[in-house]
Amino acid sequence: MVRSLMTTRRQALIGAATALVLGLAACSSSAKPPTQSATGTGTGSGGRVGGTLTVVTDVSPQTLDPAKAVQNDAWFTELAYEPLIVRHADGTLVPGLASSWSYTGTGNSTFVLHLRSGVKFSDGSALTAQNVVDDLKYVVASKGQMAPFLAGDTFTATDPLTVTIKAAAPDPNFPQLLTQDYVVGGMISKAGLAAPTGLGTRTAGAGPYMLDAGQSVTGDHYTYVPNPDYYDATSVSWHKVVIKVVPDVQSVLSTLQTGQADVAQGDPQTQNAAKQAGLTVASSPLLWSGVVLADRDGKLAKPLADVRVRQALNYGTDRTSIADALFKGLGEPTDQMTVPNGYGYDAQLNSTYPYDVNKAKQLLGAAGYGSGFQLKIVTPDYQQLNILAQALKQQWQKIGVDLQITDDSDANKYAAAAFGGSFPAFMTSFGAIPVWMEGPSLFMPTAAFNPLHAADAALTKLYDQEAVSSGAAQAALDQQVEGYLVHQAWFVPVVTTGLPYYARKSVGGISTSATEPLLDLYEVQPAG
Amino acid sequence: MVREAIRWLLSSLVLLFTVTVLTFVLVALAPGDAAKAILNARSGGYTPQQYQEMRRLMGLDQPLAVQYWHWLDHLLHGSMGTDLFNGQPVTQALSSRIGPSLSIIIATLVVSGVVGVVLGIVSAARGGVLGRLVDLVSLGGLAVPNFWLALVLVELFAVKLAAFPATGYTTFGTDPAQWLRGLVLPVLTLSAGAVAFIAKQTRDAMADVLSQEFVIMLRARGLPTRSVVLKHALRNAAIPVVTLLGLLLVSLLGGTVVVEDVFAIPGLGQQAMTASASHDLPMIEGVAFIFTVVVVVTNLLVDISYRLLNPKVRAS
Repeated sequence: MVRSLMTTRRQALIGAATALVLGLAACSSSAKPPTQSATGTGTGSGGRVGGTLTVVTDVSPQTLDPAKAVQNDAWFTELAYEPLIVRHADGTLVPGLASSWSYTGTGNSTFVLHLRSGVKFSDGSALTAQNVVDDLKYVVASKGQMAPFLAGDTFTATDPLTVTIKAAAPDPNFPQLLTQDYVVGGMISKAGLAAPTGLGTRTAGAGPYMLDAGQSVTGDHYTYVPNPDYYDATSVSWHKVVIKVVPDVQSVLSTLQTGQADVAQGDPQTQNAAKQAGLTVASSPLLWSGVVLADRDGKLAKPLADVRVRQALNYGTDRTSIADALFKGLGEPTDQMTVPNGYGYDAQLNSTYPYDVNKAKQLLGAAGYGSGFQLKIVTPDYQQLNILAQALKQQWQKIGVDLQITDDSDANKYAAAAFGGSFPAFMTSFGAIPVWMEGPSLFMPTAAFNPLHAADAALTKLYDQEAVSSGAAQAALDQQVEGYLVHQAWFVPVVTTGLPYYARKSVGGISTSATEPLLDLYEVQPAG
Repeated sequence: MVREAIRWLLSSLVLLFTVTVLTFVLVALAPGDAAKAILNARSGGYTPQQYQEMRRLMGLDQPLAVQYWHWLDHLLHGSMGTDLFNGQPVTQALSSRIGPSLSIIIATLVVSGVVGVVLGIVSAARGGVLGRLVDLVSLGGLAVPNFWLALVLVELFAVKLAAFPATGYTTFGTDPAQWLRGLVLPVLTLSAGAVAFIAKQTRDAMADVLSQEFVIMLRARGLPTRSVVLKHALRNAAIPVVTLLGLLLVSLLGGTVVVEDVFAIPGLGQQAMTASASHDLPMIEGVAFIFTVVVVVTNLLVDISYRLLNPKVRAS
């Protein structure tokens, strides 16, 4: 029962959240090489083609509709929906359904996509610019997870194979947004858009595979077969791909050990056992976990309005001990709200808040809270956040801060409390995403993770500059934003963790990296 | 007889109506709703305006009575509505899950019924050490948590010995042998506690019957023990056991959730949990409706069994 509750919680609130979910895709540079090829026998395409690839995950998708699906469900959509732009394994962006793209003019406001010619969807219809326009409008109308990033933009088919997007406000991240990482990059056919209610349980994309509904049971297993109209047949590596939902994380491991599956999305709880079982294990930093000090204006907890208090909480956190004791080699201490080599990462920032109880007390005293204060915090119980909160309670007692923890095992209730603005602080796990996207999610006045709507003119100025920048200038501004957030101590990040993947030796292509923490099913091939 | 059948039919309809209404009300009273679940899953946070808009889009802003009427209207036209998240017809989603659940439940009933009754009879007839052994097994079966037992069985029989699959369900039509192999571990898990219950109930009932005068008379007439026990005593002792089997079936409807979770079997219990967590009202109503039908039919079968087993009930 405990397990099932954990699972349903996870399903109920994959997004409390966004944190977890965005993290997955955000930092990802997953990729399907557009002309992947290998030697071997197969279908005549010249590529090595395996029989059936069985993949296991512990979360079932709420929907297969890419406009409404969340990033946790990317495995279920990416096989069938080819994105406009593909993010390669090394992080570079390569052509998908779009053969080229670019911003025009200045200010990152007009983005033009030139589509690949001769592309067909799995229903046999042709890809057109109008199709893409209709798809993007459908994404906005569907109000899905990514809709806010396209809301207010205008989409125009400037010729049969050219699409122009005019952004309502400068947006430097169209290329990333339209990759497979953010789900909405996958285009839906005209027929699919005409009958959107069916998209929840069937596919209508131009990807290498398509769902075989007859061999699938919603919520249990999803069977994908090759799309005969796929434009690049050489990249189809399997005759069939089955994604099986196994709700219990321990059973996920057992399924792999018994050979019933080849690849699995793992869980930190079973990561060491998977290594001991001789499975291939791949994991790279993906999320940071810690505290959101939401009440920066002191509306609910006056002490938090003082930056010295917020900094004191950071100095009073022994990150190394927590990482060692709670995460047992699966987490790394961090001072910043990103992962190593992620967007805005600055190695120097990791020495901002060494564990220093005296310094923390000194800052609290200077702020007028030398005798300490009480701080209410709400935590969910996934990602070990509730245990992390207990560890912080113990540590912060040493600097006189009494952490009053509300441990909400119901993730929906946690989300209502945390994002409803009824707590001055809350625990979270958040993925490292592009800073421009992080703003409206994490720190700008309207962000969900800024429920008390704290505003900072200097931060907003940096953010606005970042929005119209590109290349090295953008990377430098990303670091400035990150540095500003760290020094202003809006958060108490504690550890970074990864999402593990397991595989049997019979398959290859199982690798993740700092720039590609997500495993893309496109990459998985028969071993050898 | 006809009057009884009509009475049964009417009471069943009343029960179905009551359960579906109560389910609607209880889901409405529970904190949260599907609109929140969707918004949380998509973005983690939402504004009151976004929430109201989502409720309007999903029809959740209508009065509960109107929502129920719509559901009932659909039901009378052969539909249970659609899944709020993926648009799949509820009847279609549930139809694929009835088979796995019934397979597990019926197999568990058969295994635990046969093993439990045999153990109970032998224990009652022989007594002594065997009786105490049945008590011990019963206690053990009840004490072991299903979840733990399932994991142990998987580790031993699936991972170490590779005798049975660790997870998954194969339909009978696809591969009967694989269907059977896939049921072994889940059924063993569920049967552990059930066997204990049935064995103890059978032993007590048999012991009670065997001490009655008519049994002593039968023995005195020189009937062999086997005939006394199996032909006369068991028939009389069977009524409480049949009642227990009926209750067991009903409890297994919800009790399979853990097993379905561990063994990744796409059954109704798992669907009920998922739907409840996401406040998917049409799906919850669909599951409740099916569960109620199963309960009604089970009660009918139990009643019929009473009549077959006990002439007094037939006569009345």
